[in-house]
Amino acid sequence: MQFSRREWLATNACGFGSLALAGLAASEARAANVPNPLAAKPGHHAARAKRVIFLFMQGGVSHVDSYDYKPVLTKKDGKQLKFDDARVLANTGMRGSSQRVMKPLWKFEQRGKSGKWASDLFPEVNGVIDDLTFVHSMHTEGVAHGPATLFLHCGSTSFVRPSFGSWVLYGLGSENANLPGFVSIAPSSGNGGARNYGNAFIPAIYQGTPVGRAGAPASEATIRNLAPGLPASVTEQHFELLRELNAEQLKQKPGDAELEAVAASYELAWRMQKNAPDVLDIAKETIETQKLYGIGEKATDNFGKQCLMARRLSEAGVRFVQVTYGDNSANPAWDQHSNLPKHGDHAKAVDRPIAGLIADLKRRGLLEDTIVWWGGEFGRTPYAEKNGTGRDHNPGGFTTWLAGGGFKPALSFGATDEFGSAAVTDKVHLHDLHATILHQLGLNHEKLTFRYAGRDFRLTDVHGRVVKELLV
Amino acid sequence: MRFALFSLCALAGALVLTPRPVVADEPKPLDPAAREFFEKKIRPVLVESCYSCHSAQAEKNKKLKGSLYLDSRDALLKGGDTGPAIVPGKPTESLLLKSMHYDGDLRMPPKGKLPDAVLKDFEKWIAMGAPDPRADSALAPKKQIGLSYEEGRKFWAYKLPIAPAVPAAKGDWANSDIDRFVLAALEAKGLKPAPDADRAALARRLYYDLTGLPPTPEQVDAFVNDKAANAYEKLVDALLASPAFGERWGRHWLDVSRFAESVTLRGFVFKEAWRYRDYVIDSFNADVPFDRFVREQLAGDLLAFDSPDARKRNLIATTFLQLGNTNLEEQDKKALRMDVVDEQLDVITKGFLGQTVTCARCHDHKFDPIPTKDYYALAGILRNVKAMEHSNVSKWVEVPLPGDPKAEEAVKKHEAAIAALQQKIAAAKKAGGGTKLATGVLAVKDVPGIVIDDAAAKKVGAWTASTHNQTYIGAGYVHDGDADKGEKTITFQPEALPPGRYEVRLAYAPGMNRADKVPVHINSADGEKELTVDMKKNPPIDGRYISLGEYKFEKDGLAYVLVSNEGTKGHVCPDAVVFVPLDKKEQNDPPAKKGPAKGDDLKALEAELKKLQDTGPKRDLAMSVIEEKVIEDAKVHVRGSVHNLGEVASRGFLRVALYGTAPSLPKAQSGRKELADWIASKDNPLTARVYANRAWHWLFGSGLVRTVDNFGTTGETPTNPELLDHLALSFQKDWSVKKLVRAIVLSHTYQQSGSADAKALAADPENKLFGRANARRLEAEAIRDTILSVSAQLDATRGGPTFPANLAADYSYKSASLRRSVYLPQFRNAIPEMLEVFNAADPSTVTGKRDAGTVAPQALYMLNSPFVIEQSKKAADRLLSENHDSDTARVTRAYRLALGRAPTEGEQAVAARFLKDKTQKDGWTAVFHALFASAEFRYVK
Repeated sequence: MQFSRREWLATNACGFGSLALAGLAASEARAANVPNPLAAKPGHHAARAKRVIFLFMQGGVSHVDSYDYKPVLTKKDGKQLKFDDARVLANTGMRGSSQRVMKPLWKFEQRGKSGKWASDLFPEVNGVIDDLTFVHSMHTEGVAHGPATLFLHCGSTSFVRPSFGSWVLYGLGSENANLPGFVSIAPSSGNGGARNYGNAFIPAIYQGTPVGRAGAPASEATIRNLAPGLPASVTEQHFELLRELNAEQLKQKPGDAELEAVAASYELAWRMQKNAPDVLDIAKETIETQKLYGIGEKATDNFGKQCLMARRLSEAGVRFVQVTYGDNSANPAWDQHSNLPKHGDHAKAVDRPIAGLIADLKRRGLLEDTIVWWGGEFGRTPYAEKNGTGRDHNPGGFTTWLAGGGFKPALSFGATDEFGSAAVTDKVHLHDLHATILHQLGLNHEKLTFRYAGRDFRLTDVHGRVVKELLV
Repeated sequence: MRFALFSLCALAGALVLTPRPVVADEPKPLDPAAREFFEKKIRPVLVESCYSCHSAQAEKNKKLKGSLYLDSRDALLKGGDTGPAIVPGKPTESLLLKSMHYDGDLRMPPKGKLPDAVLKDFEKWIAMGAPDPRADSALAPKKQIGLSYEEGRKFWAYKLPIAPAVPAAKGDWANSDIDRFVLAALEAKGLKPAPDADRAALARRLYYDLTGLPPTPEQVDAFVNDKAANAYEKLVDALLASPAFGERWGRHWLDVSRFAESVTLRGFVFKEAWRYRDYVIDSFNADVPFDRFVREQLAGDLLAFDSPDARKRNLIATTFLQLGNTNLEEQDKKALRMDVVDEQLDVITKGFLGQTVTCARCHDHKFDPIPTKDYYALAGILRNVKAMEHSNVSKWVEVPLPGDPKAEEAVKKHEAAIAALQQKIAAAKKAGGGTKLATGVLAVKDVPGIVIDDAAAKKVGAWTASTHNQTYIGAGYVHDGDADKGEKTITFQPEALPPGRYEVRLAYAPGMNRADKVPVHINSADGEKELTVDMKKNPPIDGRYISLGEYKFEKDGLAYVLVSNEGTKGHVCPDAVVFVPLDKKEQNDPPAKKGPAKGDDLKALEAELKKLQDTGPKRDLAMSVIEEKVIEDAKVHVRGSVHNLGEVASRGFLRVALYGTAPSLPKAQSGRKELADWIASKDNPLTARVYANRAWHWLFGSGLVRTVDNFGTTGETPTNPELLDHLALSFQKDWSVKKLVRAIVLSHTYQQSGSADAKALAADPENKLFGRANARRLEAEAIRDTILSVSAQLDATRGGPTFPANLAADYSYKSASLRRSVYLPQFRNAIPEMLEVFNAADPSTVTGKRDAGTVAPQALYMLNSPFVIEQSKKAADRLLSENHDSDTARVTRAYRLALGRAPTEGEQAVAARFLKDKTQKDGWTAVFHALFASAEFRYVK
């Protein structure tokens, strides 16, 4: 790709938003000629959705305890049967290892008008179950968290690939000039950490901006270096001094594109500093709305705040918002290798906030063009790990759900085998899901490419199928 | 057009390999019985289990795998990527049947092994000569991918450089041949070089380029006022000789060698990587010839040496091969082994040769003359090198370093002392009949550490409580009744274990009827560990416990011990699990509150041993590699899969870039030394060009080949090929980096200003011909080092480790160091914030050219980060402690310190207005803060 000087600047200059300048008249005129790489732009085809909220259930939720109903697990509970365990297969190449079937610990019933079988692990979400599109035949790459988490976010187990949100921002730009276009709320530092919201080799303007971090209270979550820590009047004076210094420097090198770009980046930072805290401030919401998300109740307060923050950011035009329910350990949150009942604690923490988010988006008319995507990096085995009290990772078959953005509500698509061990019917690879979400955003996953090190890279590598069956 | 990328799973894609000879075996007329056998027993299986991936239809559906078609007789005989599917008459030689038997790497069909009866049918059918009535299916035409060697040899980068004729230059502008080449290129376009940079600007540029630090105002003045004809040359030589040169140019190489001090996953730290950083810095300071530098990094452990120091240096150099961001927890260890090789190949070929060889891991390179076979020829060399010790979470190899004779003697003495003590302990054990047994019941509250008694553990299957042994913790222990083997487990899991390191102990009730191989799994932040415990033996610690080892546990992470009765013979009798914290020393060896109190010699001896092991002199270690015991060639991995091996690729090099006779590779050694020799050879058309071009890039902000890491056909071609060859051939004479850099910075070309007239801007907007200087963004390190220089806080300490030796993971590590940025810990999960926002090299990739983009987070960082604010205060302190007679003088001083120039009148006025109503401290702090943040601060002219 050849860049002209102006285009080069456009892709390299100026961070999150437009080059519109507040203070520098001279630069302003010039900047008008610079195409803004983050300006909202049309995709490859008409879009059905404008933005994504990804609720990442880090560690891997058990599908057979939540949404993938397998009565045979109860019938054969405790029986030793042969399964092709993904870990055993990767370690030894052996198929058919003996494993003890473990029944779901939560009770399944038919829910909603659609009669969808779901357990009582997520009772509140069951209340909005008719708005959801279930994919039961998910499968992915990587038996361990690290590779699978990277694959989920970047479509590759390599450490150097742009993440989903970066691709989306690269493809569509942002709808708000004063906010980052891709935000990751409470990201985990483990299992790839910043790589999971990184831009890798595409320009840095497309990187994700972390808000808070896993393990820290949501009430303290902010964008780093956003708060000056000085009284506003002093800050204002200092900023004015900087403006004047920059203007003097530009006088000596009139038209210098690099200096202009730096000056412009300060104007944007200044606007962000003024606007972002408001958007992140959930106290601006009514008590009723806060309650809807479970804010104020011990179990749900934190994730509720994060989900509400996500809604506020989405509403303000942020293209891709991820909320991570997880922690910073190598075996995060939902990773119940032992003590499966612990799943219940995690479910309690996220259940009402998620149900609240769906209801809130719906009543504001935002669900129409917002894709809510819920899931982990893989599922869990229908048998007990090492005959113990938990379940191991299962990349070969698991469930994820989507809502809004033109996904068919009350649909259950694909199936695992009778035990829930492996996807068998209408299999949907994670590449396929990536391709499908991009499709809804108006992006063709085969055309969304970036040239690096002599190759054109894609989120979906050389794979991916748009699963049209999932779409309205 | 789009391109296939490699990935372990890149099995699809419509790529095809070179044709193989077709087995010319005309079908015999089928007898009715044979036809019936085929129709009844064979065809249905092929249709049912094979066609979905191996047929013309599969190809249409884009599902064809392995280029293999099974829907016609010819196709079957011809086979796919791994060769013919069947050999008629020879079932044992038929790959199809072999794969159906599931006894090799290739297992088909992938969904599960077919019934034995079906296998028998296929065996019989092949033995019959594989009678097959099917007609030919529409076989896809096979085509060559990428460039052939012959075509490749015509591409500039694969031709040997030939000394170009030096153009005659008019006038006296040219200082050297470099200038003559540049001038000729400019004149061909009717352009002229830019006027010279002013001397102050030139000094600043030179200081940054050679040392990464700004000159002080005094140093600028000294140069500007030096009227000697060779003033500039003197300055160049002084800076080349300064140790900061190695820190600057070493850092450049660390970008290329993806230097890091931890891995992303789990944040494990490379405690010894700093040795490599220092090795690189020292090498540039000592001007180690580049060809030797290549050999040391690729094969230092195999090189001859004449002193312990030389040996040490050689071993440390090979850390180069170990710095990859390895996915240590990849569960398929065969795949992991090849991933490590792939990463090494990537850095070697991009770093030294500017080639994207790893594109050829799964298929022939689509654009360059690099077939998959060449990839595996190179991979075969590195596959013979052990880089990892594999387990659930694998670990990189570290080797002991030779010390100086004195240290060596101390270590040996220490080792002898340990051995003696160990002997004593063994003797005491023998004499005393083993460990003395503690007896009796110990209450949970009296056990030091965090205890999970059997009563609190989660049990699967029927465990029977017992107190029969009379020595136990809590209310008793449990046993499995020596029954239902494989159906019982017990999981000991503490509620919220505080993060840290622990020794994990298992208490059990021993006895003669116990099981001797009880499987125990420990899950920690170090991964999963599996051990067996012999419960017949008396527990070695206090007669109660056996140590399961030391582990790290993290917040919210896994922490449990699972004991199973799987595969055991005899009773399995777990009692409790204890987590003994190691981070607090006093709890290290908890005294038993009850039990033997007097004269426990053995215990004292063991304590002494532990103390000795903890405190004595240790041998230094370095990350390095070891030759594998078995030296072999690799097989081509079809589609990059370790489970689908094709033909053998004899170890070798990139054939398109191989001139002269190929060196033969030793049977008993990996071939790394020969690989290094080939790369470091004058007959290699790439190596010298690639490094000379990198040096040019680092000095001009843009290479003669602007894609500095890609000299393949998808990269850019040189803008001045004669100049590049001239530089490469000069560099090759003695491989001196300092001479190369010296020649470039002494050129007139380097000393131009950045001003350009309209004509030059129109004719050469991107300055491809170097008719002026480029304005360059300072690197992150230079920005930080400049701030610290201005605030006079820069700590000039050189080399050595830069983080605590006991640091377990890099997560959210923050360094308070004020040393040069090259000495900040390079943690993949905790890149120092300033380096991150100002686009320091990504430590996971080869970075010949850094991003220099301007983004808002940089502005936020400069506005609000505590570091910048703190250093602004220090800079104000410095200024105010100096002797200046007016604020005007102070402003001048501040500008000269921060921007290397005096302020304009306008700037003086702005500062005066601002300072008017401020206290000295606040005012000057704000001025320095604004100067650091200002646009010009980040650029060097």
